[in-house]
Amino acid sequence: MTESQHQITESLVTDLHNGTLTETQLRQKIAAVATETDKKLQDILYLQVGTTSPASQVIGMTYIEGGVLKEASPDPDEWQYQTVLDAVQDGWRIISFPNMALLAMSDEDAYGLGFEFILERWR
Amino acid sequence: MKPSEMKTYDCKPTLTDSQVLEFCTNGYLMLEGVVSDETNRRSVDYCGEFSNHEPSGILGQDWFVEDVIINPVAAGAVRSLLGANFHLPVLMSNHRVPCPQGPTHWHVDGNYKHQHELNFLQVFYYPQDTPIEMGPTQILPGSHLVRNKARFMCHLSGIRGTVSTAAPAGSIFLTVYHIWHRRGPSTTAGIRNLLKYFYWRTTPPKRDWVIEPDFDFATAQYGGPGQNYSEQFRDTVKVAETFLWLCGKHESFRNLGGQSWPLPANRIDLPYGFPEGLPQP
Repeated sequence: MTESQHQITESLVTDLHNGTLTETQLRQKIAAVATETDKKLQDILYLQVGTTSPASQVIGMTYIEGGVLKEASPDPDEWQYQTVLDAVQDGWRIISFPNMALLAMSDEDAYGLGFEFILERWR
Repeated sequence: MKPSEMKTYDCKPTLTDSQVLEFCTNGYLMLEGVVSDETNRRSVDYCGEFSNHEPSGILGQDWFVEDVIINPVAAGAVRSLLGANFHLPVLMSNHRVPCPQGPTHWHVDGNYKHQHELNFLQVFYYPQDTPIEMGPTQILPGSHLVRNKARFMCHLSGIRGTVSTAAPAGSIFLTVYHIWHRRGPSTTAGIRNLLKYFYWRTTPPKRDWVIEPDFDFATAQYGGPGQNYSEQFRDTVKVAETFLWLCGKHESFRNLGGQSWPLPANRIDLPYGFPEGLPQP
């Protein structure tokens, strides 16, 4: 039972003891308990770094918290993570490693913004 | 001929060797507060009256052409980079947005063409004060040396090395067309106008800007912020090639690899592979 389901149940018991529980309230709260789920939200963190090493400096960051894009500080020194390893040590899990196909595009040209790690965590 | 009737324009170049090279490494040049207050006010009024995204009619206004399009400081920079008798803009775009609002995606503008030649310039003009709160354009210096596609960039957000073009009214900035950029987030109420237009080269490149007598092609620093986003020295080589092309010396350009010119180093002699025919101080 989730915290929310527990609270609804307790309010039903209170209303019952007080003699204030109506049929309508009972139906509404049972429906509320039935639909309430233990919903977890995924956070996503894109970190672009200068090399394939997860210890190299982050040069780009995109943070999506619970489905909402959060704008990074304009000052990179204020970013919460300066390396991919910093994020891993804070509980983030790497779900995608840099795509090496970009290296095969050309020996002369650079493509894209560094090497991109994608990480997730659940709240 | 009225200013608004001119197709091409010529004037004295204003940039030095070092400034031209700096444009090649950074991919942009900011000229702060070069347009008069009166023209800024008239431009804002015009943009209010013609609030669509392409108010090209402003190019038919002599006061605008005179003070913005052939502005002595801006046109002098354009003349330095695009040569004599450069072609004047025929289209005006206005990135007019109500503030506050979030940033746009990072992008390169469409129909980009990565090459060592510099045959056109994309230029922006702020007719009103555009502090950071008004969401000025953000630019990533050196990114014109890194290939990307706009649709591959939409997930990017914070990027180390980003600069804001926050500037007072009357500021103009010149860019290499395919530099990475986006509108920054704005936090205050108001209307932000950002006029955007294009100049074109009509003559072959040559080193006819302001020559520095002590400018040394052998020891000049061709590396810049592009090194943060590419394999070591690749940006250096690209910048050197563009700079020599601008000097009209592209046939002399060569990269022999390894520690040869144009890599930066503390040498006891001319860099090995230093192109023939380049002047030396």
